[in-house]
Order: sequence, then structure tokens, then C-alpha cells
Amino acid sequence: MELQKARHVQYFQRCYTTVLPSLYTSMDSNRLLLGYFTLAGLDLLSSPSSASASANAGSAPAPPQSLVPAADRTRLRDWVLGQQHRNGGFCGSPGHVQPDTVKRGWNEAVPYPAVNDTENVSLPGTYFALLTLGLVANEDADSVATAFRGVNRIGTLRWLKRLQRPDGSFGEVVNADGSISGGRDMRYCYMAATIRWVLRGNEVGKDLDIDVDGMVQHIRKSQAYDGGFAESHMGESQAGYAYCAVAALSMLDLAAADAGKPNRYLQAGISNTAAMIRWLVSRQIVYTGIEEGDSDEEEEEEEEEGKDDTPAVPTSEMASLSVTGTVLGGFNGRPNKVADTCYAWWVAGALHVLSDALPEVASLDRASGREFLLQKTQSAYGGFGKDAGSPPDLFHSYLGLAALATMAGEKTEEGLGLFDVRLCLGKEAASRVDRARQFWAPASESDTADA
Amino acid sequence: MPPKNNKGGAKAKETSEAKQDNDNSKSQTVFERAQAAYDLTRPPYDKEREELGGLHKLSTVEKTAYASWFCTAPDELNFLSKKAQKELWKQVNETNRPLRRGQIDQPKRDQWGKDRLGRNIGDYTVLQYERRIEKQARLTGLKALGRSFASKRLYASRGLVDSSTGEKYTLTEEDIQAERDRRMEMAALKKDLYGEKMGPYSTDPEWDDVVPVPQMEPEGALSAIAYPEDYAESMSYLRAVMAANEHSPRCLRLTEHIISMNPAHYTVWLYRFANIQHLDMPLLDEIQWLNGVALDFLKNYQIWHHRQLLVDHYHPIIAGSPDEVKRFAKSERAFVMAMFAEDAKNYHVWSYRQYLTRKLGLWENEEHGELDSIEGMIDDDVRNNSAWSHRFFLVFSNPRYANPDSQATEADPGVPADIVDREVAYAQAKIQLAPQNQSPWNYLRGVLVKGGRALGSVKGFAEQYVQNLGDVEKEEVLSSHALELLADIYEEAGDKGEGGLVLAEAGREVGSHTLRVLGVEAEVSEGG
Repeated sequence: MELQKARHVQYFQRCYTTVLPSLYTSMDSNRLLLGYFTLAGLDLLSSPSSASASANAGSAPAPPQSLVPAADRTRLRDWVLGQQHRNGGFCGSPGHVQPDTVKRGWNEAVPYPAVNDTENVSLPGTYFALLTLGLVANEDADSVATAFRGVNRIGTLRWLKRLQRPDGSFGEVVNADGSISGGRDMRYCYMAATIRWVLRGNEVGKDLDIDVDGMVQHIRKSQAYDGGFAESHMGESQAGYAYCAVAALSMLDLAAADAGKPNRYLQAGISNTAAMIRWLVSRQIVYTGIEEGDSDEEEEEEEEEGKDDTPAVPTSEMASLSVTGTVLGGFNGRPNKVADTCYAWWVAGALHVLSDALPEVASLDRASGREFLLQKTQSAYGGFGKDAGSPPDLFHSYLGLAALATMAGEKTEEGLGLFDVRLCLGKEAASRVDRARQFWAPASESDTADA
Repeated sequence: MPPKNNKGGAKAKETSEAKQDNDNSKSQTVFERAQAAYDLTRPPYDKEREELGGLHKLSTVEKTAYASWFCTAPDELNFLSKKAQKELWKQVNETNRPLRRGQIDQPKRDQWGKDRLGRNIGDYTVLQYERRIEKQARLTGLKALGRSFASKRLYASRGLVDSSTGEKYTLTEEDIQAERDRRMEMAALKKDLYGEKMGPYSTDPEWDDVVPVPQMEPEGALSAIAYPEDYAESMSYLRAVMAANEHSPRCLRLTEHIISMNPAHYTVWLYRFANIQHLDMPLLDEIQWLNGVALDFLKNYQIWHHRQLLVDHYHPIIAGSPDEVKRFAKSERAFVMAMFAEDAKNYHVWSYRQYLTRKLGLWENEEHGELDSIEGMIDDDVRNNSAWSHRFFLVFSNPRYANPDSQATEADPGVPADIVDREVAYAQAKIQLAPQNQSPWNYLRGVLVKGGRALGSVKGFAEQYVQNLGDVEKEEVLSSHALELLADIYEEAGDKGEGGLVLAEAGREVGSHTLRVLGVEAEVSEGG
């Protein structure tokens, strides 16, 4: 089965040009996330490297026209910056942007200052906003150099520091009284580490920078007894958190750019790497063909599990299941759960980050993982669903592409560009983000970069 | 123009379509009626000229009549000399054709505008048009009453006296209800006439002092959502009261409304809690209310932080009474179990359960002990990895003996040996039920690490599931996890002989072999 590129292009273009159905109302506080997935999907389907593997290998193929129209990019940039909070950081959505003054009164409305609304600044919102600004920059040097113009760097870093708890973990929002709300969630560590890297938080001095060692210790404590990573200390391991943990550590290493110890934090933050790899690799399971379109499959499957009277399976039977023909190798997020599109990304992404840094990291079975996605969760309407027969949604559609691009690596998946696994973004777009960071480089460095 | 029909309006409404067709004055459109009225104000040859498309199509007599009529227009007449005027009137007399002239401009089809569906109002039948006018009049009347309500409210708020009665202005609940009813009617009329929507907040006089804050966003913005009815309006009122830092019962109701549409709104929950605190609402009521919301939105994340916040504030109130804590623990567990009945692996719920265990100190195996409950869940589904994980937390985070900072992946010398023995035996018993179940194997490894014991201490147990290894004829692998564990045991012991064999067999290169081995697991698990 092939990647139905034309349909995916249609799917993302539909999301780009038309109003999303009202089912997305529960995502209304995360419109920056929806926007990011839409643009990143279009970008990955049309980045320069997405054309390199095409059939006419003889003549150099013309670089594809980006599906994020050049004419729209200024408007998109303004839309993102419109969600920046006056004190720094970004709100998750236009609906969370508060005015400076508010009017009250029965007859004539008298304006008076609005209260401090720090809690509207969202960690995911800030993460997606910054990456989107780099993503919608044009390839030319001027555009990249000014991608972050207008971002309140110091205000954002100050807010980010206040978001960190004494135990090293991060919350989601800071309240006006300084208290921190939100879970002790590994996703926040990853986003905080990425924001810090984008804003060069490591170059602003200790007073403004986050407590990196505290964060690394918090991550280290979150490894579960089975080798996977949990939301936080002593929780259940889950593949999404595993990716966030290793990617967070890797972003810290990237910011430090320590040639002597390039993987210092990655090694310090994982107490048992072998167990983690074992756990990650065992997330790939053979998909045994639950009927497509059976929307209750997960529930049914979970209910049916129970007293086990399964006879032991002899080795010879195991051998008969070997990878000949088209085996579908789905990925689950936790042991004994069903396969889900996004876990192909979280697992492949986590392993990829590890294998970039460490020797001899086991890899997944790409062929069967790819077949599972393309045959089972790739939607006939374009995009990907959560599992077989599910309708496509933006989240699984983008992460489905991300999984395919990640598993393909340097070889690239036909029709998709190269992928930056740490930023979960097309390689060229990730490079724009990186180059755009020069905006804040110390004067001497930026001078040499300009010269 | 007054209706020419002498029937009453109500009666006219009852007449059938066919009847209306015959009733000329009612079935003609507004434009047709205006056109007919216009025609009455001009001579027939002018209409004829227009319809035929030019003066040249008219007969000689009519041409002359038209020319005379044209020249008798007041403005034109002044250009003529007295003599010429005399000639003109003579000619008019000879032609003997009507010379009427009215003050009405020629009607245009679109001069009445369009209705909410984009239909030309000029194409309305007269009857339809009259109904529209009636509604507009009704709306104007209601607006006037609304203005007098607003004035009365203002006077009452300033303590003014009504000079006609000598009494102070007061605003009664009836007045407010009447205004509320008026707004409902106005909203319906506005929607019908102009397609304008008035949501539940702009129609409620209770919210009149709030100036909503609309969402500032350009047309065609990225990832716009087709909001359900009332959502945009509710959000604009929420922004307004949050910006003003208002805490009141109406704000509490507003948060409930928003939550029902967008439970992932990350600040509405914080704002709701602030309201509860300011209003000194009973926390237990809120927890009760939250039960229903959590069951409605199983995948929601914010609900659980709100619940934690409530428990954080509720616990100190009951902490002095062990009985109350017990009662609360019991009701919370009942709720958590109701959530598990919907999804026994819901991550947020398990996370909350850990929090609850810590907060209420539910460690020990007593009347309401967690360990009993979790054993029940593992008995229900031996593959529920979440339940296994919670058991691990219960056993190895128990503050009675465990080091609170000990990582899940490292030995904790504080854990008594008999507890480690108990857990090893428990995992082994469950493995026997389902040798290819990954969860208890992982658990067994975890227990051994925590207890500071070598993996080799369960070598004999693991070997039961892997027999005659390397002997193609007699080889029997009952569990790939046993095989993997044995490989690690041999590695731990530095044994390259038999261990190497197992290693090769277990396929540490992962790829195909692990997939194949795990395939059996997937089949077992998914086949039920």
C-alpha cells in the first residue's frame, strides 16, 4: 500500500481553507495546536526534500511549490502574534486573549483596566506559536532573520521560569497569585525545554533561565519499573510520555551544544536505558485484524480481556507468524492496549531520538509498521484516523505522517520530506526555526553569521 | 397605501392559497401593487410606450398626446412662451386623451431591500408584507418598553422618586421577568426579520451591566471552528466577567455552560474554583457535580485538576475526623470505580487515584484499603497494566517503609523482605494464569529490582516456560517474556554459553523476532 499523497494534500488543504466542524469545539482552547498541525502537515507534504525521491531521478526535479501559500504567510504570522500575551508567552487560542480594559455598567459603559490574566498564557500555546512562526517564515534569509521579531523573549522566559515547580516539573499555567496549575505532566517538560531552546534561554543568565538540573532529575524519577516513562514519579508508563522525556532531554542537550558531552542530559535523565529501549520496542505488536468500522472495538476488547484460559502457544506456531507477507505491526501506548496511529509516532520518535545519540539502539520493524498505518488507519478521505475505521482527525493525521517520515529516516517516505524528530517538524522548517533563533544570538555571534 | 381588502387581517390569514390567488389585491406582490399604483398616476400611452419600447411604436394620435403630456409637465411648461402654451392646450383639447400626472416615482423592484434569506421583499405578496410590517411594529413597541425598563432600573438604582405617584422607583422581580420575556420575543422577531441572533445572555436583563468582549480575530483566520449555537456569545461574556474579576452565582452558572461545550477550556476551571471560594460554596456539592461532568467527558484532562484542587481544600476540613476521611475515601473510590466501569485504563483516573491514595493515606490493607480493591481489578482483568502499575505504586511508595524519593527503577532498602517475597509470589501466581501476559512479567522484574534481588533468583520459575531450548525437536517456549528474562539472567551472570543461545533465540536484534513473539501476545490479548 502506498501513501495516498493526493488525498492527504486534500485533507490538509480542507483543514486549511474551511471552517473545522463543531466537533472541534472541545479543542477551541488549543487553536494554535490545530493551526500548527495543519501548517506542519502541508509543509511536510511539500517541503523541498519531499520531491527528492521522485521517479525522474535523471533530471533534477524542480523544488515543489509549498502548500503553505506565500501570499498567506504574513497573515498567518500576524494571527500567531495576535495571541501573544502583553506580558510575554502566548495564549492557546484567540478566545483566550483578553483586552487591556473592560467596560461595565447598566447604562453607559465605563472602561476600566482588566485584571492581570497571567493564567491565559499557556505552555502548549507558547510552544506551538514559536514553532509556527519559524514554520511560516519564507526560505529567504531576510524572512528567516525576522521570523521572531515581535516575540517578547524576556517576558516569555520570565514566565517560563515561574512555571517550574521546586521539584523540577512544569505546570500548564501560572496564576495571578504566582501559584502553578496543571498536572505534573511530561509533555510540559518537553515543551518547556523546546521553548527554552528557541528563545536561547541558556544564554540569559541564571536569574532568567529555568532550573535545568531540577528538570533532568524530575524526568529521571519518572521512569517506570518496566522501563517506560510515566507522566511523573511512580506513574504508569506510556509511550507519549516516553517521547516527551527523551525529546526534552535531547532539547536540553541541543541548547547546551557541549561538544565534549553532546548527550550529557540524555544520559543523566534516564536511569535504565536498556530497559527503556526494551519497553519501547515491545510497543510494536502484530495487528490481528479487528473488524474495520467496529467503533466499539476498544471497549469490547478491553471488556473481553480477563480470566485467561489461553493455551500456551508452541514455538512452531510462533514461527508461522513470522514476517513474511504483509504483517501489520501496530503500536500501542501501554502494554496490553490496542494499536493506535499516534503511538507509531511516539514510539518511533522516542527510539529515533535515542538512536541519534546512543550506539546500538534497537530499531522498529519499519515494513510492518508502515503497512499497519497505510492499510489500516490511512483514511479513504485523506488523513489518518486513531485506529482502523476511525474518521480522520488533525492530530492523528499529522502524527501518522510524522510516524511514516520518522520510520523512513534518511531514505524518506515517498511523497514526504525529511523530518526533524526532536521538533516533530519537517527538516527544512525545523532548520528555519533554528536559523531564526539567530535573532537573539549574542551580538558577536550574529555579526559573524551576517558576514 | 391602505389595503383595498375589507376583510379583517385574521380572516385573510385563514384563506387558502387558491383563494388568495383570486384575491387580486392580496396575492399581487408588493412591487406589482406599487407598479399598479404608479400606472394610475400616468396616462395609458406612457405605459404603452414603455412596454412597446419606444415612442416610434405608438400611433400618430398617441405620439401627439405623449408629446403634449410631456410638455405640460410644470417644469417643461415654463420654457414655453404664452403663445406656445396656448397652442399646446389647444392641441391637448383636440387630442382628447387623459393627461393625468401624479407625485409618485416609478417603483424599483429592489427598493424594499432583502429579508434574512436574501429574498427581495418587493417580491413578497402584500399579505406577507403586511405581516412583516406588523412584526416590525411589534419589535419597535417592545424596544420602547425595554427602554422604559432601563430607565426605571436607572432611577431605582439612584433612589429617585416618581413625581406622578410620589413613590420611589423600585424594580421588582416581575419587572425583570417581564423584560426577560420581552427580550425572548424580541430575539425571536429579530431572528425572523433580520437573521440577527440574540443569545441567552444578551436576552437576559441580568447580564445587561456586562459589556461582552468579542473574540478579536480577522475574517478567515486559521483553524476556525464552526461553533455551536450560543458558544461564541457565552465566551464573550466569560471574557468580560473574568477581565472584571467578578465572582457571583451568575458567573458560576456561566462557567457550567462553557464547560458543557468546551471542558478543555483551561482557565474556566480556575475561574470556577475562584467563584466557589468567594461564594463559600460547599466543596462536597461541587465534587458531586463534578462526578457527572467527568462521566460525560471521559477523556478530559482539566476536570481532574479541578477535582484535586477541591480535595486539597476539602481535606483539611475533615482531616480531624478519621471517620469522615474514611467516608470520603469510600465515596471517592466508588466514583473512581464508576469511571473504571467506562474505561478501566483511563490514565487521568489512575493518576487521580494515586493522588487520592497519598492525600488520604489509603496505603494499608484495612477496611477500605487500596490493595484489596486493586487485587479485585487484577482478578477482573489480569492484563490491566494500569492496575498492575497502581499496585506497584501502593507497595513501593508506602511511606511506612519506602523511601519517598526512591525511583521506580532502583532498589529501595527500606522495603521489608517479606513484602518483596509476597509480591514476587503474587506476580508468579498471575503469570501462571496467562504466561504470555506482559504486565506481571514487567511487574516481577520491577519487584526484584526494588527488592535489590538478582533476576537470577527467579531463574527456576522462568525456566518452566522455556523447555529444551535449542533442541529443535523438543523445544517448547510458553512465554516469550520468560525467554527474554532468561536472556537477561544469563547476561547478569556473565554466562555466554547457554545465555548466548537464549540471546540469539530471544532475538535481541528485536525487529522481526520480537514482533513475531509479541504477535502471539497481541493475538491472545485482542482475541479475548
